[in-house]
Amino acid sequence: MGKLGLLKARHLVSRTSIGAEWETIQRYKNLNKRDAIIHTLNAVSYQTPPMPKTSSWGKTIGNRNSMARQRNMQRMSKSEGKAIQNWWVNHLLTTRSPFLERMTIFWHNHFPSNIEGTKQPSSLLAQNQTLRRNALGNYGKMLFAVAKDPAMLIYLDGYKNVKEDPNENFARELLELFTMGGTKYYSEYDIKEAARAFTGWSIDDRSGKFRFRPELHDQGIKTFMGKRGNFTGDDILNILLKHPRTAETIAEKMWSEFINTSRPNPGYTRQWAKTFRNSNYDIKTLLMAVLGSDAFWHPSNMGGLIKSPVELTIGTMRALPYRLRTNNLAHNLSLMGQSLFAHPSVKGWDGGESWISTQSLMRRSGILTNLTRGNLRKTNDARMMAHMPNCSDEDLITWLLPVTPLNPLPTEPGRQRLVRALVLDPAYQVS
Amino acid sequence: MDRRDFLKYSSLISAAGFVPEMAFSANGSTPEKIVVLVELKGGNDGFNTLIPYMDDAYKKLRPNLKIDERKVLKLGQGDMGMHPRLGQLAKIWEQGDMAWVQGIGYPRSILSHFRSMDIWDSGSNSNQYVEDGWLTHVLPRVKHGLHGISVSNDGGSLGPLHSPKLNSVSMQSPHMFVKQSQAIKNITPVNSTPALAHLTQTQQQLYEAGLQLRSKMTRSLRAKKKRGGSKGVLGHSLESVAQMIIAGIDSPVYKVSQGGFDMHSGQIGRHNNVLYQVDHGLSRFAHTMKQHGLWDKVVVVTYSEFGRRAAENRGGGTDHGTASAQFVMGGGVRGGLYGKHPNLNQLDANGNVAHTTDFRQVYATLAQRIWRQNQHPWRGHTPIPFI
Repeated sequence: MGKLGLLKARHLVSRTSIGAEWETIQRYKNLNKRDAIIHTLNAVSYQTPPMPKTSSWGKTIGNRNSMARQRNMQRMSKSEGKAIQNWWVNHLLTTRSPFLERMTIFWHNHFPSNIEGTKQPSSLLAQNQTLRRNALGNYGKMLFAVAKDPAMLIYLDGYKNVKEDPNENFARELLELFTMGGTKYYSEYDIKEAARAFTGWSIDDRSGKFRFRPELHDQGIKTFMGKRGNFTGDDILNILLKHPRTAETIAEKMWSEFINTSRPNPGYTRQWAKTFRNSNYDIKTLLMAVLGSDAFWHPSNMGGLIKSPVELTIGTMRALPYRLRTNNLAHNLSLMGQSLFAHPSVKGWDGGESWISTQSLMRRSGILTNLTRGNLRKTNDARMMAHMPNCSDEDLITWLLPVTPLNPLPTEPGRQRLVRALVLDPAYQVS
Repeated sequence: MDRRDFLKYSSLISAAGFVPEMAFSANGSTPEKIVVLVELKGGNDGFNTLIPYMDDAYKKLRPNLKIDERKVLKLGQGDMGMHPRLGQLAKIWEQGDMAWVQGIGYPRSILSHFRSMDIWDSGSNSNQYVEDGWLTHVLPRVKHGLHGISVSNDGGSLGPLHSPKLNSVSMQSPHMFVKQSQAIKNITPVNSTPALAHLTQTQQQLYEAGLQLRSKMTRSLRAKKKRGGSKGVLGHSLESVAQMIIAGIDSPVYKVSQGGFDMHSGQIGRHNNVLYQVDHGLSRFAHTMKQHGLWDKVVVVTYSEFGRRAAENRGGGTDHGTASAQFVMGGGVRGGLYGKHPNLNQLDANGNVAHTTDFRQVYATLAQRIWRQNQHPWRGHTPIPFI
């Protein structure tokens, strides 16, 4: 297998990192595909910066259960919510394991729980750690962890799901979004029966951790996906993990994350799903298949993805020596439609083409204009140039854009001017 | 898989084939009719919006959530009445400018928010997966240039206006749009990848719509900086829509939304609140349109992905249901009660009613009677004579 070279190295890095960092590309340039992918999957550190202080479940439960103190809950969750958003944004900016963070966002979007719906930022932080810990691990294990995760139990009303009054919310999304995908492969009855199996899954008042309350669990016989038994929630998850659709759902999402914005190609995703299932849901095995596929490397897919707001802004700040004056990056992300811990619904961000609307495009262009603003006359701004690669203009263009620029390049010389023109080119918005 | 197979499988080729005629004319004038779509997100409880207050089954299914007969705003027809928080809209009913469509839904209904909203947005059957919004089948033949504007705080989805074949624009407000679109340069759309095709097409639409809005609205927006007393997200959005209609923007469709209708628990207070938003926003909008002599031009249509279950649950709320009630209003609307109220004594295995009116009858009505298009996918659905 030959060496990647600049073009392919930048393709891999821009799709697996947050921002195409020059140093990483230089390292991968001389590796072959396989080694570069293995390095991407394995050079990972799980450290995060110290977490902000948040109010525990035990502390907030009094307010949660009191109608009169809803305003307190609102105020607490808003301010602590901002703190956890800033914490993650800061980590995304500074992490040395951008691929792990990218995958943590991927799972954060697959298993969304948000500030508004939970009013419990402490649980969201804990969920974030769970997702990060499992992001490159085992999907089955992660599914079990999330099903018992307090933030998810609050967000989808699982902790209110009791024998006397089964709540379908979690069961429905579990089937529609987390495992089977869509609405074609199961019935309303399956949802109701699954909900019964999850009754009694709850949160301990004091510790704020998962707790099973047998007295609230429906011990009766359930019929689920053609099987009958005195199923528990664990049984339901195991049945779903045995179904081929679960792996396909994840494989289809991988297509949209790594290949292009068109509908997933079943010729590939079914194959990936099979590999995934045969590996007993080992996420690295799946990623090996995705990143090693000819679909991933096909030239027609270069520029086939739209950068998420995180990639666009934080990626630019990681790859280039630009800084935002204001530190309200989290707020800017929300204006572009990717507010962390605040997805619009349990479906998460739609991503792909829907990152771009006329509204968001104005914001995206606006923030890049702000970032690259500077004194263009000072073509030899020393501080700036010290952080720019020392390469030819051709290599600079290959580095920053996945396809040839759409706008004409500046006629006046100057590296800073050229970089600015490339960042503001529409081709910079895709990956 | 070789390269040829790859290209065959991937939908690269098809996605970016058709680019709509762009050249928005900045001097296009106000359309003859303007449709304002009001999305009620989360599944609005039709039974507590248009209330069968005399129905014993209703009272029995909803011991705690039922609205007292004395509080209901009675229509004076069919023993139906409006929710007490819809007081301003009740006046529009009395003036004969409001039509209620009862029992609206579709066969084999789906109780997933996302899937059901996709069905409403695309006007498809519940077993079809269609990406283009339903207006794709109507508007390109009605006019060139701008087809629709979606106003929302989060630049949310285009819904019925979503399609590469439509020139649709989303915005937070015309004020922000005029300000921020100035920096956007014109671009010739490219087709190299579907992602770039979408991006460049959006940029061109943004540029063209920006030109029109700046030329028609810069002065009026400068003259009137402060909000005209509207409240809430829906109120602000509708005020924006009113400003654009008055300025003579040539969009035939506007879309606004109000969220918060998904009420699995604690429904009474929350429903009061969101219906108040609807009442306030839409009655102010109607008032403004009347002041400017535009009320006869506009047709307001509400929609929601589904209704709620007939019976209340133990949490003081209602779960996902099927048929619901929606309304249409405007100076040219023939007020009245249309369709049949669903039978609350005949529930399916999930405790849901059967629909009596197909939502595509509304689409067929708008296509034929507003836009005079007889070629559309819902010809099998009888129009409703509210226009």
